[in-house]
Amino acid sequence: MPVQKDRTTPHHRKAIHEMQLRPNRVKEKIYAGEVAVSVVGFTHPDDIDVFGPIAQANGIDAVWLEGEHAGVDHANLGNLTRACDLWGLTPVVRINENSQGLIYRTLDCGAQAIAVPHVNTAEEAQNVVLGGKFPPIGRRGNYASRQGHGVPNYMELADDHSLLIVFIEDIIAYQNLDEILEVENIDIFFVAPGDFAASMGHKGIWDQVANIPEVAETMEDTFHRIHAAGKIAGATCGKAGLQRYLDLGAKFFLTTTQEWINDGAANFMDIVKNH
Amino acid sequence: MDIRPNRIKDKIAAGEIATIVGGMTHPDDIDAFGPIAVNHGFDGIWLEGEHGWVDASELGNLTRACDIWGLTSVCRVNDNHQGLIYRTLDRGAQGIVVPHVNNAAEAQNVVDGGKFPPIGKRGSYTSRQGLGVPNFMEVADDNSLLIILLEDIIAYENLDEILAVDHIDVFFVAPGDFAASMGHKGNIDHPDVVETMNDAYSRIVASGRTAGAICGSANVTRFLDLGVTLLFTNTPEWINSGAAGFMDIVHNHSK
Repeated sequence: MPVQKDRTTPHHRKAIHEMQLRPNRVKEKIYAGEVAVSVVGFTHPDDIDVFGPIAQANGIDAVWLEGEHAGVDHANLGNLTRACDLWGLTPVVRINENSQGLIYRTLDCGAQAIAVPHVNTAEEAQNVVLGGKFPPIGRRGNYASRQGHGVPNYMELADDHSLLIVFIEDIIAYQNLDEILEVENIDIFFVAPGDFAASMGHKGIWDQVANIPEVAETMEDTFHRIHAAGKIAGATCGKAGLQRYLDLGAKFFLTTTQEWINDGAANFMDIVKNH
Repeated sequence: MDIRPNRIKDKIAAGEIATIVGGMTHPDDIDAFGPIAVNHGFDGIWLEGEHGWVDASELGNLTRACDIWGLTSVCRVNDNHQGLIYRTLDRGAQGIVVPHVNNAAEAQNVVDGGKFPPIGKRGSYTSRQGLGVPNFMEVADDNSLLIILLEDIIAYENLDEILAVDHIDVFFVAPGDFAASMGHKGNIDHPDVVETMNDAYSRIVASGRTAGAICGSANVTRFLDLGVTLLFTNTPEWINSGAAGFMDIVHNHSK
């Protein structure tokens, strides 16, 4: 067999050699004391690609890929997170189980951030860290992650770049909040109203139950205690609830395109119907 | 089981305004949009296969999501090809949009692909929309929606002969290529382009046919005033407006 010539030019070799791990925009912003915003509602890579310039123009930081309740899985994470990479948007994947294997496989497939629902004790929070960080911090399995392709020092940098989010969304998590907040290497403590309210006996639509006095008070106390511990809080809201959570000091936000589509649809049809 | 109604076709027949929304590329997006569409009175979903990635293998899942919400699935194809037109209908589309139709023969080709004999030459097959519908072959032609895009200056020059072709439901005037074909690439607001498009709309409406337009909230009134009754709009504009509104609050708080 003829010997294959190396067609990579010195320039190409240099480019490959010097490739750095992609920045984690959310992680950089929240540790700089800035607000970072993620948007959910995209189920196909092409939708993320269309959203890219809109995100850039408006200063949005991340795309939330929904795998707790919706269709994101390992077969499509490569394509979904590549579309995020292209626009410098941090791909945040919510998974549906606090499983170490699930956490690091999701990171291996290209996620830059993991959101784990229903974390209720320090032990459960520590399990997220064990799945999300390599030894000696955790027990993440060693593999050439997609975010590590062409990055020679990936193993040294990966832990600093991965973002771990735990959901405080049960009243039991509130009762165990002090011990949960002591767990290191969790970046964001996300206070989610829907399940939080349900666990307090107020089942309903997430942005409505957040206003029930007993729920609102408990959530507000949660935010205060997260901040008193020197940690970063996350919140989910639409435009209507945003100011409240900004005032409470939340630095990471999850919002959804569904509200925007609904508003745009209403506005368009108002004009048509009034004509 | 009866054939599913074609909501856009029914509305057009009743002289009402029908609306189509584009921008959804996954069946789950259509399913999530369903209640919003029902709530606000939208009629159809635009599946983009001229420039986008919609293909025969995806059309089953995409159009099923439309069926669930009673939204008319309208697929734009990228070639005025009889086989492509009827395969797209067979896979579940209730409406076909054919770009760059420039003369009567090309418009007739859309009819030949979109209708069974004796009207056209659509190949006989158990279409997805015909599953469980015993009289599908009798009612299919009345339920399929054919839309042609007039988007070249040559189509404008041939407008009278194009408007004489039967079985085309909507004559859609698309500004981007129209302007480019007049030497005004990217300038759809050029006075010559606006005037020519307005004249095209007047002649479509005057001939008793249905006119279609692509628009957003900012310019929908212009087309309604021109007598357009099929409106096509896109979700990215709404997402952009919503994103701007949300981030305004964030940016103002940070100051």
